[in-house]
Amino acid sequence: MYSDSSLEPNQSLPLQGRGNVVVLNSKFKMNALHDELAEFSHAIIKGVPSSLGFVASPHYSADIGLEVYSNNYRGNLQDALAGAYPVIEQLVGADFFRQLARGFISLHGSCSASLFDYGAELGDFLEHDEPARALPYLPDVAKLEWACHRAYFATDVEPLNLARLSQVSADEYANIFLKVHPACYIVRSPFPIVALWQAHQPQGSFEINLASGGEIALISRQRDVVNVREITPDEAYWLRAVIHGKNLGMATVSTLETFPTFDLQNTLLLFASLGIWTDFTLGETS
Amino acid sequence: MYPPATSVLPCSAGIGLRAPHYREVLGTLPKLGWVEAHSENFFGGGAPLHTLLAVRQHYAVSLHGVGMGLASPDPLNEDHLAALKQLCDVVQPARVSEHLCWNTVNGDVINDLLPFPHTHAALAHVASRIDHVQAVLGRQLLVENLSSYLSFTSSEMSEGEFLAELVRRTGCGILFDVENLYVNVRNLGVDEDEFIRAIPAHAVGEYHLAGFSVRDGCLVDTHDHPVYDAVWTLYEKVLRHIGPRPTLIEWDGNIPALPVLMAEADKAQQRMEACCVL
Repeated sequence: MYSDSSLEPNQSLPLQGRGNVVVLNSKFKMNALHDELAEFSHAIIKGVPSSLGFVASPHYSADIGLEVYSNNYRGNLQDALAGAYPVIEQLVGADFFRQLARGFISLHGSCSASLFDYGAELGDFLEHDEPARALPYLPDVAKLEWACHRAYFATDVEPLNLARLSQVSADEYANIFLKVHPACYIVRSPFPIVALWQAHQPQGSFEINLASGGEIALISRQRDVVNVREITPDEAYWLRAVIHGKNLGMATVSTLETFPTFDLQNTLLLFASLGIWTDFTLGETS
Repeated sequence: MYPPATSVLPCSAGIGLRAPHYREVLGTLPKLGWVEAHSENFFGGGAPLHTLLAVRQHYAVSLHGVGMGLASPDPLNEDHLAALKQLCDVVQPARVSEHLCWNTVNGDVINDLLPFPHTHAALAHVASRIDHVQAVLGRQLLVENLSSYLSFTSSEMSEGEFLAELVRRTGCGILFDVENLYVNVRNLGVDEDEFIRAIPAHAVGEYHLAGFSVRDGCLVDTHDHPVYDAVWTLYEKVLRHIGPRPTLIEWDGNIPALPVLMAEADKAQQRMEACCVL
């Protein structure tokens, strides 16, 4: 049923890097500085020994210094990947992970000064990486891990005080628009990705049947703890409708059309217990 | 909401607070002069900020940036600066520092601390960016001298002269990394006495100490060893010429148990006190 695999953040992933910039001193002649640093940067990123005439050390060749910078560049990105994808590293082993990381880094440079932004595309990369394709669940586990990583760093928002919801009169229930915490993500997969992920946590169980079918993972955060749990197809369908701006009435009607046994009250409370609701408004349209 | 411990750094030794020690520090509240954290780790809030704010209730905090790229040829990233401003508003750190380096050109980011030629053109460029950063933050920035593995033949002044001129033009302060100076002495033949003389003592707000590693004869600023004896000796010399300042032990690789880190801080503390007695 869940042949697709997709990361469904309730808000788009933060744009990496660059963004909103201003030129502070446009009159300033920066050409020489720019050109030397652009050449320096190229040598570092490509990692090719190039005889740059403008850098030197009295004690070793410039190539050695460049190599240190190149190694730092790749090492920092590799550490960032290992930090964001600890389960992938466990699944494939440290050596294979290093090889994967090298391949990934050669295709994906960094465009953010924060290393926590680096590595978003690893899931897609694993779908096309020939050696990694032997483990077809890797891309979805990577997407789950990236969602956890983003959830960990997502902006803080206080959870909704449910007492406020109880003040809404019954005839207004259908018009409630719930706001979802920025650390909330849904990842679905034809593989048991939640079981795979949990198996590689401390005290995880290693009894996994890869043929046991797909799972939908809900990622959320309460204060400083990221939670990963499996949710059912009807819960996911309904939450997705809410995330996409449907009010409770519209989300529930459309869910019941596909899943006649959907239980609204329990689903609402389950998500509330995970701190997924942050606020609500009332209205017929969002 | 989060009562600050203090808004000034005590003139004592502190440690760089890294993730492996968060739990132990908050659980045991060991005697630490102060702590420093990397600004970017807390951008956007999220789980890490909960920890930092809890730490902030017990210790003076200095925020140390590794990503502003003060000397980058690309325009300053205003989103990055806004995130730092937001963090400062919440944490109310005692000090905010950045490195004298660059990291972005033509949109390509190199997540490292890279050297650049110390030219007059670069000086005007960096000074204008420090002016802007200080105006946005509404506070003085400490600028840290860099450890380098190569120097640029087009440089027109030493790093010490460059920093002194930045202080004169912008009113910024200096974070004097003693290990970085030692690395540059060994890698690039920098004259340590000339550097110390060039630095205006009044502007120095903080010292850093760390351990390096060696690759093919090049000292690499890996922060993964204890402070070497030669760096302690240089620190003592710097203390004699500039005077005691809040001093930080940085340890970022092969991070040891907290007591090991605290023992390193104690060594710095003893040297600061000995310097005051003399």
